[in-house]
Amino acid sequence: MSVGNALAHRNLLYLLSLKELRTRYRKSILGWAWSLLNPLSQMVIFSIIFIYVFQAEPPVGDPSGLDKFPLYFLIGLIPFQFFSISVTVAMGAVRGGAALIKKVAFPHEHLVFSIVIAQFVTMLIEFGVLTVALLIAGNMVLPWLPVLLGVLMLLTLFTTGVALALSAANVYFHDVNYLWGITAQILFYATPIIYDPGTQLAGQPWLQQITNYNPTGSFVRAIHEVMYDLRMPGLGRWSYLAIISVGTFAFGAWAFDKLSPRFAEEL
Amino acid sequence: MTEVVLAVDGVTKSFRVHRERTTSLKQFIIGGGRTKYDEFLALHDVSFDVREGEVFGVIGHNGSGKSTLLKCMAGILRPEAGEVRVNRRMAALLELGAGFEPELSGRDNIHLNGAILGMTRREIAERYDEIVEFSGLEQFIDTPVKTYSSGMYVRLGFAIAINVDPSLLLIDEILSVGDVTFQAKCMEKFVEFRNAGKTIVIVTHDMTSVRNLCDRALILEHGKASEVGEPGLLVEQYTESMLGSMLDEATPGAVVRRGDGRIQIESVEMLVDGEPAVTVPDGASMTLRLRYRANRPVERPVFSIRIADQHGLTVTEPNSRVGGLVPATVEGDGVVEVDVPDVTLLPGPYTLDTEISGFHRGQIHDHVQHALRFDVVAGRSHESSGLVTLRPEWRIDP
Repeated sequence: MSVGNALAHRNLLYLLSLKELRTRYRKSILGWAWSLLNPLSQMVIFSIIFIYVFQAEPPVGDPSGLDKFPLYFLIGLIPFQFFSISVTVAMGAVRGGAALIKKVAFPHEHLVFSIVIAQFVTMLIEFGVLTVALLIAGNMVLPWLPVLLGVLMLLTLFTTGVALALSAANVYFHDVNYLWGITAQILFYATPIIYDPGTQLAGQPWLQQITNYNPTGSFVRAIHEVMYDLRMPGLGRWSYLAIISVGTFAFGAWAFDKLSPRFAEEL
Repeated sequence: MTEVVLAVDGVTKSFRVHRERTTSLKQFIIGGGRTKYDEFLALHDVSFDVREGEVFGVIGHNGSGKSTLLKCMAGILRPEAGEVRVNRRMAALLELGAGFEPELSGRDNIHLNGAILGMTRREIAERYDEIVEFSGLEQFIDTPVKTYSSGMYVRLGFAIAINVDPSLLLIDEILSVGDVTFQAKCMEKFVEFRNAGKTIVIVTHDMTSVRNLCDRALILEHGKASEVGEPGLLVEQYTESMLGSMLDEATPGAVVRRGDGRIQIESVEMLVDGEPAVTVPDGASMTLRLRYRANRPVERPVFSIRIADQHGLTVTEPNSRVGGLVPATVEGDGVVEVDVPDVTLLPGPYTLDTEISGFHRGQIHDHVQHALRFDVVAGRSHESSGLVTLRPEWRIDP
């Protein structure tokens, strides 16, 4: 995947991303509202379960003092969904692009990039709305937004790497798709979205380590720190995230590069 | 020396034909990481150069590897060995409207498809009006393409592809799609392209178009390329070998020549404008010339010819007896000529059988099957189906 080639086709990347954003919501009456409705409905469901069924104590932000579970939930859910939906849709886009791949020569990675870009835009809008909610709840997140953006950039790098590797593998083996579905579900529960490892997993150091160091868990912890607790993630966290992001992206790009020349005959 | 714009250099491409297709990771792991497949060699060491400003033809039948070659040239498939070098902006017309997004409008699809074909935003903006005009879809440009008819779809696809403004155009049987008006429009654009000094590569099984349009050509057979040569000559060789093999297959060990040999056919040729030829336009005049040799005197010989179409159907079978010309006796070398003032056969390949027989049926001196093969090319008539034209003249009273 040469940089020159990708640059020459930047117009294609732009238009593919735009197409992705447009076609996704064009058919619906509510349009863009749908993209917000999904996380909101999940928030309502999980908040009821958390607060009324399990009667759990909401996590308390340190030093922010915020104690609203629905906000805690959304801060974790939005970046996780960005990751999982990007990978799922990218796998479908490469397989679904068979007609194009067989008939036209173009950089196949743009199929993946355009999905990640479109999902990134969606995520930014969701975080925009969430920022307003956090401000209303009394969390002064505005100065922390640049830090959030930094974490999100790393998350995007990581997501792109996974999407490249799995969408390429999915061309050769169609059950990669199902395996990914299961993996995504495991990751969802291994990531502190619907629970707070500090309180709910207080006596389980082993489980705490899993939530802390699995890739998506680590990203979500960092974003909780920035948006919920209002503090800077530690240097250890930053280096860990940087290493897995760059490493995953490099692997994904390498794998895609190896596998994509045969797409036209395998699809 | 004109510049080489497309160089195909020792290109080899094989496909994996899976015996048990391993399409799941589960099978792959159970199978110990091995998949069983046979290699199928689609292209074998194919090399040729296409020079600037020429129309180059690649002739081949289905399964000859021509689609694979086209895809290698277009950069869709990557060859195992050898390489394809493209020195000009290239557009490949493989399938018109590939990658159209049904939900998006014609307008959005022009932008998207243009980008897929490698155009920049500015180029698309500049040529947008021309694309819409060429497609003739002004009224429908803002409706989603899923509502388009297949004809509209192809028109829009062609309009975009042709406006990429390539200096090198790869065409895959493209001139045979769409209705007659659209084909005429394509042909017009094609000629415009050629006159502008642009390079065109046509991949096709249609001999007539290769002969009529191409400057140079090659034949692709079982993944191997012939020498590059003059199209008319190549087509001739090719049809010859094709017909030969068809004949061998149809009647194994068949006697192509029979008769008692008292008088023998030495040669048969077709003359157009007094020159030996293998093609004749319909409406032209031609002469069939047959040379014979009789070692002993032969009484009242009858010369006959039979013209058949490519499926072996007899079109016409005149003979000299019906023609009212029966010499009392012939001996030595001689010539028989048949003048055809107006060839009313429609374009296509034809074969000619010749026979010299006695005055009464049943006594065959010499019979040569497929003594001559010739092509009728488009001429006076514009009819396209059937075998002959009756030169009809229409009158319609309003």
